[in-house]
Order: sequence, then C-alpha cells, then structure tokens
Amino acid sequence: MSKHESKTELRSGAERYLAFTLGAEQYAVPLLSVKEVVALPETTRVPYTPPHFLGIMNLRGQIISLFDLRLKLGMKADNGPESAVIICDLNPLSFGVVVNSVDSVLSLFKDDIKSKPEIESKIKTDYIQGVTQRQGKLVLLLDVAKALSIDEILAIKRNAAANLAS
Amino acid sequence: MDELQQQLQGTFLIEATELLANAEQAFLQLEKSGDHAHTVEQIFRLAHNLKGSARAVGFDEIGEFTHTLESLLLKIKEHKIDLSPPIIDLLLRSNDHLTTLVDTLKAGQEVRCDQILKQEVADATAGKTPNQADSAQTISSPAPPSDMTAAATRDADDHPTGYQSFSEEPAPSLNQEHGPSEPRAVTNEAQTPAATMMNTEQAAKAPVEKKVVVQDDSIRVSLQRLEALVNHIGELVILQTVLSEQRQLIPSLFLQKTVVQLGKITKDIQTISMGLRMVSLKQTFSKMQRIVRDTTKALGKDIDLELIGEDTELDKTVVDRLGDPLVHLIRNAVDHGIETADQRIAAGKSPNGHLTLSAGHAGGKIVIDVTDDGRGLYADRIRAKAIEKGVITEHQNLSEQDIYHLLFAPGFSTKSEVTDLSGRGVGLDVVKTNVEKMLQGQVQIDTTPGSGTRFRIILPLTLAIIDGMVVRSAGDRFVVPLTHVFESVRPQPKDIHFLTGIGQVMNLRGENLPMHRLNNLLGIKSKDEKANLQETAIVVRHGGQGFSVLVDEIIGRQQVVIKKLGDELGSLTGITGGAILGDGHPALIVDLNELIRRGGSQAKKSAIAHKGVA
Repeated sequence: MSKHESKTELRSGAERYLAFTLGAEQYAVPLLSVKEVVALPETTRVPYTPPHFLGIMNLRGQIISLFDLRLKLGMKADNGPESAVIICDLNPLSFGVVVNSVDSVLSLFKDDIKSKPEIESKIKTDYIQGVTQRQGKLVLLLDVAKALSIDEILAIKRNAAANLAS
Repeated sequence: MDELQQQLQGTFLIEATELLANAEQAFLQLEKSGDHAHTVEQIFRLAHNLKGSARAVGFDEIGEFTHTLESLLLKIKEHKIDLSPPIIDLLLRSNDHLTTLVDTLKAGQEVRCDQILKQEVADATAGKTPNQADSAQTISSPAPPSDMTAAATRDADDHPTGYQSFSEEPAPSLNQEHGPSEPRAVTNEAQTPAATMMNTEQAAKAPVEKKVVVQDDSIRVSLQRLEALVNHIGELVILQTVLSEQRQLIPSLFLQKTVVQLGKITKDIQTISMGLRMVSLKQTFSKMQRIVRDTTKALGKDIDLELIGEDTELDKTVVDRLGDPLVHLIRNAVDHGIETADQRIAAGKSPNGHLTLSAGHAGGKIVIDVTDDGRGLYADRIRAKAIEKGVITEHQNLSEQDIYHLLFAPGFSTKSEVTDLSGRGVGLDVVKTNVEKMLQGQVQIDTTPGSGTRFRIILPLTLAIIDGMVVRSAGDRFVVPLTHVFESVRPQPKDIHFLTGIGQVMNLRGENLPMHRLNNLLGIKSKDEKANLQETAIVVRHGGQGFSVLVDEIIGRQQVVIKKLGDELGSLTGITGGAILGDGHPALIVDLNELIRRGGSQAKKSAIAHKGVA
C-alpha cells in the first residue's frame, strides 16, 4: 500500500488505527470507522457547498460525498500517485476523505496515546483526540466526525438557509 | 439464546401488526353485517393466535390481555353474548390497545397493559353469564368438533382458574399446532386475486365463503436486504449499459452475442427486482375503513365506504407515503363533501352517503380515486373564500380547475366553523404536498355541483426510477425529471429580452416567459459565456405559471435510478437526489420548480450580473 510501512502490528487489547498522510503530517483514524480505501474517483460538483466539499462520487452504485480534509485544515491539496480516498462509515453518515497516502495500520494501547499538546490558539483543535509517536514522528489521532461532518453539515445547512433567505 | 429470543420477538411484532390489522378489518365487518358466524370465528382465531405467539416469545402483557379478550370472544362465538354496538366498540378499543402495545414494543419500550380496559373486557365477559365457574362446562358441550374450537375450549377451561395459573406449556404447543397455518390462511385471503372490482365488492360483503384460498408460499425479507439487492442490480444495469455501448469494439462475434444476451437477462432481473418492492394497498385501504367509521360516528352521518382494487400493488415507499393524503381526502369527503341525512333527503338523494375508494392501473400509472356523492364543489364559493382568505386577489383570473386546486392551498378551508375532524386549515395542502413533492404524482379534481366530487391521485409505478432529461450547464451534467419538462426550444437572440426588475424574458409564440440560467440558479459560474450556440431553453409549466430555464445543451433522455444523497446534503433545496449516468459518473437530479421558488430573487440578481458582463 505504501513505502513507509505496510506491516500490521497485532497486539491484544489494543485499538487499531489506520494511519495516513495529509500534506506532510501523519494522521490516524480508528480502523472501525473505515469502510474501505479506494482510488481517487471522478467527482461531480454540488452547488452551494464549501470548497473542501469536493462533490459526489460513485461508489459501486452508491452516491457518497467526498471531502478534502487538507483544504479544511488549511493545507495544500496536491494529489500524487499515492493519493487515495478513505471511505468513512460513521453511522448514519458515510463519506469519503481524500488523503495523500494511506500508510499503515497501527495498534495502540491506551498508554501509547498522549494527550495533545496544549497551545494557545484561535484554531479549534478538538478534532484531535490524542497524539502518538511512530518512528520519531508525531501521529495525530483524528476525530473525523469532529473534523468534518458535524461542522460541515451545519455549514452546508447554513449555506442552504442563507440562499433561501436571500 | 438471547439473540434468538430477540429475533423471535421481532418476527412476532411484525406478525402481530398484521394480525391486528386483519382483526380490525373483521371487527368493522361485524358492525356492518351484524352477527356473522364466520367473522367471529376468524377474529377468535386471530386472537388465539396472537395470544399463543405472544406468550411463546415472552410478551406476557400482550398474552394476558389477549387471553381476557379471547374469553369474551368465545362467549360471543357461542352466542352467550350478543354482538351489541357497545361490545363491538369495546372490541375495537381493545384492538387499538393491542396495536399500541405492539407499537410500543416495536419502539423497544416496556409495556403495561391497560388494567381498566382489561377489567372492562372481563366484566363484559362476566356480564351475561350468571355463573362464571359453570361457563367452561357449558361451553365445551356445544363446541363444534373442529381443532380450533377444541383448543379454544381447553383454554376456556383454564380461564376460571385465572390466567396466572395458566401453565406455560399449552400456549406454545397450541401455537405450534395451529399457529403457522392460521396467518397463512389470512394472508392468502389478502392475496386472493379478487382483483376485479366486482369481486372485491362481493368479497367485502361476504368475507369468508367466497374467497378461494390460493397457496402461494412466501417468505419475509427485510426491506434493507431488498434495497441492497435492488441497489446492486441497479449497478449491474449500469455496467451492462457500458458494456453494450462498447460492444462494437469487441472483435469476437460470439462475445458480442453474449453481451446482447446478458443485456436481456439483466433487464429481466431488473424488472423482477423492481417488483420485489411492490406491496398491495390492502392495509392502507383497511385503515381508511376505520377512519370512515370513526368520522361518520362522530358526525352522526351514515356513509358507506366501498373499496375497489385494494389488491393493486405499489412500491412500498409509495404506499407508506400515501396514507396521510388519503386520510385527509377521506376525512374531507366525509366531513365536507357528503351532506347530512336531512340535507340529502331534501336534495332528493338517499339518506346514506356513498364514498368510493378505488385503485387501479391506467397507462403505466397508478390511479387512486376518492369519490363521494355529496354536494360537490362550487367554484364561485371557493373563489370568494380564497379572496377572503387572501390566497388569491380579486383580479386574478383563474380557470375552474385552478379554482378547485385552491382547496389545496395552505390555510384554506371552505367551511366557516372548525370541526373536530377537519377544517383546521392544515388538511388538504398535505395532500398536494405529499403527492407532488414526495410521490412525484398529480392530483386532479372532478366535480358536479349537487351530485359529488372525485379526487384523483395519479402516481408513478415506482419512485426508484424516473425518466430523466440529461442536460449540461456550465460543464456539469444534471438530470431534470421529464415530467417537469413541458417543452424545450432553442431561442433566437431576438426572442430574448431584458426587463429591468424582472430579468431576462423569453418570447415564446407571443407569450413572455421569465428566463433563468440553470448554472446561475445553482450558483455555478459558467466557464465560458460565449460558447452557447447549443443553448436550449426548457419550458416548465406549473399550474398557470410558466418559466424557462436555459441550459447549454440537452444531452439526451435516459431512465435513471434515483439515489439518495448523504444526510450531509439532505438540506439542499432544489436537488432531489443523485443518479449515476451511463458512463458511471454521478449527476444531480434538479427540481426546477423548487429552484425557481427558492432562488427567484437571486436569479434576478444573476441575470442582471450576466447582462452586465455581456
């Protein structure tokens, strides 16, 4: 899957995470929330949606929404040969997220996960659940629902409402 | 074990709902035709069945209540108690209570049965019998030798000792002996092809004897699984389309033939899969019978309801959404449409009102009629009322049809006093909204003043597939439901005018239609404004008002399978869903009416902006 690491570690009692790269940073999401990983599909634009809402895609007959987390987090959205889409299944929402590459599956114990560094910042960081270390690099554990959907659904709804009002 | 129990309970709840619906039907039958041995027998079996299964899966509350009810039913069956209206009423209330219990259980909540009602039932049972303890003995002697009654007698034997001591053992075993055969018999009745109108009519009058029991084995499948299957078949159809489009590229003649063959089979499979979702209107129609009964009772009117074509099959989603509109139409007909007995006699009609609810196929569509023989609609009165209510202005010129359709306007009610049943001003607009928005259907009104009104609902066979017009606007493809398209024209530059404050207007055969651009309505910037040689205007007429929408080109006409968009896109107005086009790419299905309604002012702004650019 990736040149970084494709070995899956298995330890009992640990929770498993899917690690991926966004820009130059490493992130991970709980493996249970991942339905599958697919190649970058063609998308169809949807009007009145924020820029990081890329559009809708065809996942074997099912139409699902595709988001770009990088745009949401203020990174450059450059797609390379390893770019992929992680299909997240957060009941009842099911959507895709574009990532630079999918790296590995981590299995982490509770004490592997440190709380995120507290810094004074205007930017909300509550979508980061914790931090762990992989080969000297920091991996941020992401709450996708927080990073995207709840905010986004509201944003889309607000947009729609604003359009309705205008 | 736990899981098994849960599964059993789930199955029971589905079954119970059916049993109760059938029972209600039968109770209403009783009321209509007086004492009817077969009907009582049928109800008794239903109750017995429910009791058995309820106990078997551990819903003791339902079991106990039904047991009490069963005792009463037994007395009725044995002619120990007369079927007086209060008794029927009590039975109906008990049936309602059981329905509530089942619904509560379905919602996963704990239930307690209504002790007062139970006591009432028990009292009624005791009411006509002087000696309770003797009753069991007296019952067993005249019992007919059928299995069922024998079983019932055993139960009745237990009754005097109280249901607490009723041992757990007999109930499940009874259920095993007779349970499985019973619901099948009942469902088969439902499926009997009493399809023709006359047949149904007769059947309604004599429920048991006339029906032929046709054995058609069936299994219950969850809607979720079915939908998954239908989804996959939809995808299969798309892949098949791609394959047949590319088949010229295949050198081998044999493979080409196979592709054609595959296409045929795929089509067959699709047809079958669409049929899987079809359910009959029987349950929905039965509910209406109850509503007519309750409404007429409350109003003191005497109205017969005739059901025609209740075996007509419709997509499950359509049937589910049809309930509300029908309830409103029926209530409206009973309350407003049909006069009181005195008025009817004065008008030279029979004192009994007649209401017909019919369903049938007509030209690839489903037609559902609610016809009453009441006072009819008076266009001038409706018009006056609409002006008074501020729905229309005095100067508006409307055709008679348009005036009738004002009945569906929100906040409109022709009756001055608000009754308990209808006339709260929220009624009929639900009909139009549900039928047009959610069901992609139409409502027509036909009326003869003095002799009646017919409300006709015309529905597509399925909601899952629509005929769509694929158009391109600003580089993106969109699907417009073909039913919305009145015509499409290629406007000449001389036909397009700009009016300050209104925006662009297209002159079509002397008529000036407001003109919008699809991409502007959707807030998408057009990539290049000039290359619009193919530009086509889609004319939409909705009621009297028409408008046109410019698209870059019409790509073609295609049947598309409507796909739900994710919840995150659920609130987008003007977009009713997604569809996967022949090349496998998704496209949005747009509702032009909705877009115009939403973006009227915004479209004007864009039109001005566009003019500024040009």
